[in-house]
Amino acid sequence: MRNIAVLYGGSSQHQRTYKDSEFAVYINQCVPIYEFATASLDDVDVLIIPSQTHAKYLHQNIEKIYDFANRGKIVVTLGSQTEEWLPAHQWEFRPTNFWWWLDPNAHSGLKLTTQSNELFTKYLTIEDATWHQHGVYWPTADCEVLLATTDGAAVFYIDRVNTNGVWINTTLDPDFHFGSYFMPATTRFLRGFLPWLKEGEI
Amino acid sequence: MISMSAAKFIVIHPFTIFSVTNYSEEFAIVDQYDLPHTDLSEYMCMVVLPFVDQTFLTKHKAIIDRFLAQRKVVCFFGHLSMPWLHQQQMFIPRVIQHHSDYDIALAQAHPIFDGVKVQHMLVNRGVKGFFARGHHPVPPHSEVLLTFTDGTPITYIDRTSTNGTIFVHAGNNLIGPSTMGTESGNSTSRISPQLRQWVRDEYKNLQKGEINHA
Repeated sequence: MRNIAVLYGGSSQHQRTYKDSEFAVYINQCVPIYEFATASLDDVDVLIIPSQTHAKYLHQNIEKIYDFANRGKIVVTLGSQTEEWLPAHQWEFRPTNFWWWLDPNAHSGLKLTTQSNELFTKYLTIEDATWHQHGVYWPTADCEVLLATTDGAAVFYIDRVNTNGVWINTTLDPDFHFGSYFMPATTRFLRGFLPWLKEGEI
Repeated sequence: MISMSAAKFIVIHPFTIFSVTNYSEEFAIVDQYDLPHTDLSEYMCMVVLPFVDQTFLTKHKAIIDRFLAQRKVVCFFGHLSMPWLHQQQMFIPRVIQHHSDYDIALAQAHPIFDGVKVQHMLVNRGVKGFFARGHHPVPPHSEVLLTFTDGTPITYIDRTSTNGTIFVHAGNNLIGPSTMGTESGNSTSRISPQLRQWVRDEYKNLQKGEINHA
C-alpha cells in the first residue's frame, strides 16, 4: 500500500475531495502548500498535485517535486498545467466543450488508447473518465498514453522515461469537479483512480 | 500585490488556473497568502473568491474580523468549508435528482439583480448547474436575494453578525469578470456593475452609521 500525500491548497474543493469525503481514506497526508517547502516527503510514495493549485507556490517547489520524483517516486498531476514545468512538457489548450452531451449523437472526443494497463482493465472504464477536457498534452514517444483525443493528443499519460521517477499526468480535473459537487462521472473516476494509486500496478 | 490608488475593492485571490486576473482598475488584487502583510486601510470591500485557501484564512480570521469591525463590506463567492467568515454557516450541497432542482428565483426585487433574467443566470449553453449547487443556512435577520425555487437561500446579505456587511453567494464570482454567458444581450452582465454600486452605497451607509445592526 503506497503512502499518498496531497499538495493541499485548502480550497473548499480540495477539502471536500481529499479530507472530508469517502476518498480521504486513500490520503495519508495533506501537506499545506504554504508549508510544503519545509515538509518532509521521506515517507511519501505518491505526491498528488491537485487541480487548481496555487501557481506561485507550485513554481517555488518545482525543484523539490523533481527531487522527489528522482528518488524513484510517483508524481500525479491533475487538471490543466498550462505553465511548462512537467518533464518534456508539451501542453496544448483546447476550448472546453461542456455541452457536447446535449446532442443525442454526440461523441465526447475521448478514446481509450491502452488495452492492457490495469487502470483501465480493473479499476476504470472510459465512461468513468468522460466529462470534458480543458486541454491536451503531446508527450514524448516512449510515454504510455492511456486516454487520448480522437486526433491522438494525450489526455492521460504515464511518463516513466524523462526522470528517474514516474509521472502520471492528466488534463482531467476530477478532484475539482467532485469537490465542487458537479459532474457525477468524476466520483466514479476517483473511486477507481485512487485505489489504483494506492495498490495498483504502476 | 498590485497597488492601484483608485482601487476600493481588494480581491483576495487564490491564483489558480481558473481564477482570472483581468479585473478593472477599481479592484486591487492581492495573493491570498500575502493577506497578513497587506494594508487594508484604503479598501471598502474585500472580495473573497471560490478557490481561496480557507484553512489559511481561518488562521488569519482576525484580519477579516477587524476589516468588518471597521464597518466595511466582505463579499464571498463559493462554498464555505471553514469558519473564517464570522458567524456564517458551512455550505450544504443540494441533492440533485432532476435538472429542475437547480432552478432559481429572485426572493425580492433588489438593485443588484435589477434587469437580470433568471434564465440567463441559470442556463449556460443549455446546461444548468453552474450557478449554484447548494446553500449556506442564513444568519438571523439576513436579507435573502436569490433562492432555489423551493425557497432555499443561495445569495444573502448579513448586516447583523458584525459591524460591517457580509454578502454571501453560494456560487461563482458575481463581481469580477463574468464567468456566465458572455454573448450579446445576456443580462448577467448587469450584475457586476450593480453589485459594485450596491457595495459603494452600502459602504457609505455603514460609515455614516445608517445601517441597523443587532
